[in-house]
Order: sequence, then C-alpha cells, then structure tokens
Amino acid sequence: MAPLTEPSAGFKFDNVKRNQLLGDKGYKLPTATKTGTTIVGLIFKDGLILGADTRATAGPIVADKNCEKIHYLAPNMYCCGAGTAADTEFTTNMISSQLALHSLNTGREVRVVAAMTMLKQYLYKYHGHVGAALVLGGYDVTGPHLFTIYPHGSTDKLPYVTMGSGSLAAMSVFESRWRPGMSREEGIEVVKDAIEAGIFNDLGSGSNVDVCVITKGNAEYLRNYSTPNERVQKEQSYRFTPGTTEFYAPRVARQAQEPAEMDTSA
Amino acid sequence: MNRFVEQLAANDVAELGMPGSLLAGPTAAMAGPTGHGLSFELAAGNNPAEFAQHFIDAKSEKDSLIKIAHGTTTLAFKFREGVMVATDSRATSGNVIASQTVKKVIEINPYLLGTMAGGAADCSFWERVLGMECRLHELRNKKRISVAAASKLLANLVYRYKGMGLSMGTMVAGWDEKGPGLYYVDSDGQRLANDIFSVGSGSTFAYGVLDSHYRYDMDIEEARDVARRAIYHATHRDAYSGGVVRMYLVQRDGWVPYPLEDVGDLYYQYHPEVQLTNRTESPLTVVPA
Amino acid sequence: MSIMQYNGSAIVAMAGKGCVAIAADKRLGQRALTVDTEFQKVFPITDRTYIGLPGLATDVKTLYDRFRMRVNLYKHNEERTIEPKTFSHLVSHMLYERRFGPYFVEPVVAGLDKNDEPYICGMDLIGCINFAKDFIVGGTASDNLYGMCESLWEPELGPEDLFETISQALLNAVDRDALSGWGAVVHIITPEGVITRDLKGRMD
Repeated sequence: MAPLTEPSAGFKFDNVKRNQLLGDKGYKLPTATKTGTTIVGLIFKDGLILGADTRATAGPIVADKNCEKIHYLAPNMYCCGAGTAADTEFTTNMISSQLALHSLNTGREVRVVAAMTMLKQYLYKYHGHVGAALVLGGYDVTGPHLFTIYPHGSTDKLPYVTMGSGSLAAMSVFESRWRPGMSREEGIEVVKDAIEAGIFNDLGSGSNVDVCVITKGNAEYLRNYSTPNERVQKEQSYRFTPGTTEFYAPRVARQAQEPAEMDTSA
Repeated sequence: MNRFVEQLAANDVAELGMPGSLLAGPTAAMAGPTGHGLSFELAAGNNPAEFAQHFIDAKSEKDSLIKIAHGTTTLAFKFREGVMVATDSRATSGNVIASQTVKKVIEINPYLLGTMAGGAADCSFWERVLGMECRLHELRNKKRISVAAASKLLANLVYRYKGMGLSMGTMVAGWDEKGPGLYYVDSDGQRLANDIFSVGSGSTFAYGVLDSHYRYDMDIEEARDVARRAIYHATHRDAYSGGVVRMYLVQRDGWVPYPLEDVGDLYYQYHPEVQLTNRTESPLTVVPA
Repeated sequence: MSIMQYNGSAIVAMAGKGCVAIAADKRLGQRALTVDTEFQKVFPITDRTYIGLPGLATDVKTLYDRFRMRVNLYKHNEERTIEPKTFSHLVSHMLYERRFGPYFVEPVVAGLDKNDEPYICGMDLIGCINFAKDFIVGGTASDNLYGMCESLWEPELGPEDLFETISQALLNAVDRDALSGWGAVVHIITPEGVITRDLKGRMD
C-alpha cells in the first residue's frame, strides 16, 4: 500500500474519461471563469507601463468586480493576463517561480526575453488548451521590453500593445495618442484612458484601472489607480430585526440504532 | 400561406358539415373573431410542424426561443360523492421558479373542469375554446354536453395539430346525466376514461399516495385528505411542483372550489415533531468549537 | 442540462464585523427528483475555517475526503493549524491539477485568520480564486443569490445581524430555484466559536 504523501507535480487526467462520458450522455460541461478583459502596455521615455481593468466574468455574470490582472513575475517584470482566469493565474505563478530559481542559479537579474521564451514554450506545448493571453513587460540590462503572448505560443514585440475583448477600444486610444518618448505622466494618462475606453465600451471589461510602471531598477504597482465606477451609498438598509428567521431547536445528534436481527429462517 | 393545410381544412369543414371554426383545424389565414371562427396562421413552407420545432422547445431541454413550462402535479379521482380535482401551483422556466400561484384548474363552465399540465398557454387556450364549443352545443341541442362528448371534442381539436408542438396533458372532470365523468386527454390525441388520474412531472409520487389510500366509498373529508396528501408528497419530492394545493369537488350541482392550502405550512402540519424556535426563544449561544 | 445542475445546490458566504458566515441548502437531487433533504455541503476544515462545495455530489464527497487528508498532512508536517488563505490555495492547486479533467465543484471558503480577520473566497471549477470582501455565492441558485446579496449585504454586520442577513438571502434565493432548498444550515464563525443553526424553509 502506498504511503500518504504530497502528490507529485503536473496535470492529472484521471477524471477525463469520466467527464467525457458525462459529456457524451448529454450533460453540458461547465466553463471556467473567463476574463473578458482590457489589458494594455506601452513604452515611454524611461521604461514601460502596463494597464488592466478589474472585471472577471462567468458567462453573463460579473464574478469579481475588483480582481487583479497584473501578475508579478520578477522584481523587474510584470505580466497582464487575459483569457481563462485560472490559466493566467497559474501560468504566471509557475513561470514566476522558475524565474526566481533561474535568477538564483545565475546570480543575475533575469532578462525579459527569457521570461517570454519560457511562457511561449509552455503555452505552445499545450497547443492553446492553456488559455492564457498575456502582455509581458519588464526592464532588464538591455532596456525596456514589451511583448504580447498568445495562447498558442506566438509572440509580438511592439512599442504599444492591447489584448482582450476590449483591445479594439483601447487600441483606438493608443493609435491616436501614443508617440515615442512620452513622459511618465503622459504615459500613465494614455494607459488609464485606454483601459477606461475598454471599461466603458466593452461589456466584458469593467470596474477599475490597475497600472504598473516599470523603470530601470524600479517597479511601481498602482492598484486601483483609477476607480471610475465607485458604488454610491445605498439609499436604504435592508437590515432585519433579530428574530426574523425561524430555525429548528438545536438538534440532538441522531442516535445510532442497533441493527435489528435479520430473519433468516425462511 | 400553406396550400396543403388550407385544402385540408376546407375539406374537413365540408366533410363534417360544421361551420368553420377551430374544429376545422389549422388553416393558413387568421379569420379573426368576427369571421367564421378562429384559426392559426402557420409558417410558410412544406412542413410547418418542423419549422415550429426550431423555435418551440416542447421538452424544455434546449435554450430555444420559446420555453414551455413543464413541471406540474395534477390529479383527479372519482369517488362516492363525485369527482375530486387537485393541483399544485408552481410554474418553472428552466430551473427558475416563475410563479408559485398558478391556477392549474380551468373552469370550463359551471359543470366542467379541466386541468393544466404541459404548456400553460396551450391548455388555457384550448380549454377556453372547448368552453365555447360546449356552450354552442348547449344552444344547438338545448341540453348540457356530456363529459364524454366534451373530452372527445378536446381530443379531436388537439389531434388536428398533432406533431406541431402542442404540449398538454389534461383531465376533463364534470357531472352529466350519467353522473360523475373523468377523462384524460393529451396533445398526442390520446383520450382515456378511468377512476383515477394523475398528470405531470410529480404524477408518479401522487399515484403512490393515491394507490395506497384511495377507496371509492370515501367521504368528502377523507377524499380531500387523500388529494391533499398526494399533492403534498409530489411537491416534496418533485423539484418542479410546489406552491399551494388547489382543490375542487364536482357534484350534481357543479363544481365548488376549496380554500388554498400552502404546501410550506403543510410540511409542518404533517411533521408535528419538528420544533421551531427563533432568537427570542433561544438567545444566540456559542457552541464551543 | 449542465452537470452542475444534476444534484442542485445553493451556498453563500458573507463577511461581517469580526465574524464570517457560511450557509447552504440541504437538498440532494437527481435532476427533478429530491433524494435527500439532509445532505451536507458545508464542512468544517478547522475550528474556524469552513468550506462549502456546490456542484456534483459525488465530487463533493470525494473532494472533501481529499481536503481532509491534505489538511491532516499539513498539520503533521507544519505542527500548526492551516489558515483559511493557505487552505484556499491548497484547494485551488488541487483543482487546477485537474485543469483538463476537472471536478465539478465551485468551492466557497469562509473563515477567520489568526488575527480574527474575516476571510472569504470562491473558486471556479479549475481553481481560479475570487477573493471578495463582501460575499461569495455558488450553486444552481447563484444568480438568485447574487441578487439577494447585492441588495441585503452591508459592511460591518455583527454576528446577530449577519445571521439574519445570510439566512434571508439564502432562503429567498432558493425559493426561486427549483433545484435547491428543502431546508438550510447556517454557520456563524466568531472568535469565540461557531454557531450552527438549521433554518426553517419551504420543503417544496
């Protein structure tokens, strides 16, 4: 008999057959939380800025009104995630730990291209089944870098990028207002406006704006940099008077009954 | 417009020698209430029934455009004093409880009742049509229609639309010259006579109670108790039945309704051992974890 | 019909002032048929951390046993009780492990951390954590529960008010859902201990 131990790493596939059977029997298999999202990034004079909205959806329902879509990768690197929420979370987490080990092994700050390569190779391995669409940004010895990484493993390196369902709205802001060598303040303003364009014009995006400014030797995470959808004070309280809800008298645990003698004479 | 159906309808009217009405079955044009009767317009195409099935989900399984409420428990039985009719009152659309106060007994006329299972609109519309036909029968023949004839009228009506997505399982209960009458009619065109019927998703549970407690020579109170328990147990086990118990008794002088009984209260009547309390009686005490 | 609707469930957790609450209905069904009205869907993990498991009942039972084992191992290895946040990440990892063949549950965790601060979170079936400071809902009545909680919940509710709020939110939500209800249980977790109450609910 095998001893009780912590399980080994990696995906497990022991439920797959059962789930396929249930699917074949006509039961609809549920879908995971998606982030209908607006995520962006741009290069400015001293580094780069990442931006994201904070809405997570499950079908038509807003599952989380203030989630975090800018994930930490390394002290000099952050990564925005769109797509299947769990995939963006776990993929960035895993790469982050590998980057930390890599940095400890080499005794150097990891380069952004290394993170990009690890991410694209991981995603390519799963042929798009790991549904993470990422905007990766970081500052290393070779300067600022901004990448987009698609779920199938393709990448782009561009001075300003948008991703997610709100990418078109955000890109319209970037296309009209981005220019090379912007100041930090200008850059943040354009990122904020791009995310807000997604928040207001894309139904999959919403709530607040998160911003992350990465410069040489410094990363500043501005959580909820803009909150254009603050909920107003409720006009009425629905507090119930104590005693409203009826409940059972404290239950006495059911006594275990002696099993009756079975009649086996017949 | 559908030529085939138009011809069919015209032929039927001629054959049966009846004035054009819904009895004539489906026609292509809507004559309107002031014309020679009501009739449905059908979709253009070779097979209107198939067309309808794309948009009407008679089994409430798909996310199609039109969902038909299905969950129900209805029952009726003949006994010494007449016919007892009882129903629940829940309407569901998917898993959402749309209403807990639906009226699933349709008062066709003072001597006839119909019950509702399947498509609510189908039942209420066609039993209203049945009411009209019964009244016409009275005017033509100077006497009330028999339950047998009324139920057959309904069966024939819906048979004309067979396969076009109608969904109804109904019981026609009443009193005529022969005494109490009870028939089951459904949208397949099936028509049955018997002493006990139960229809709907909760019918199996209701039958369980009826089969173990029903006797023909019950008095009214006993009959009410059996009907109430049957509906209650069906609402308890069937997710798509619930609300209140609605009961009618049909006798020589026609039907009478009984007061509604909330199933939520019935559970605690049937389980007096359950002790309830609230904050005022049991102050908030902390159970050491 | 979705496999998440096969058995039916409604679970809600709410944060209060120095306390949290988690409540669940008690129905176990097989589609329309109600099989059990005393089915346990909320489980104690520690003295002050509870987990609710809405979804497919067979997975509810399997997963609870696996959680139990992992929490016991944690206690043996670490010689301390697991914190609600740590436990949530344990659950999250166990679900993501089966990313391509998931268990059909959407867990709801409620607890008090070592500083008596409320902690509640929810997850989707592959372990994406949704951390909330107000309320978390799950199960077939989740749409209804969202509506109830958005209107009834308010910040800084004490144990007494939290009990009424979570109870009314749950009871009224399941009264509009055909697949959940048939009684309910509420746990109010306070630094002093846990109050557990079985609610009166409609049995249809």
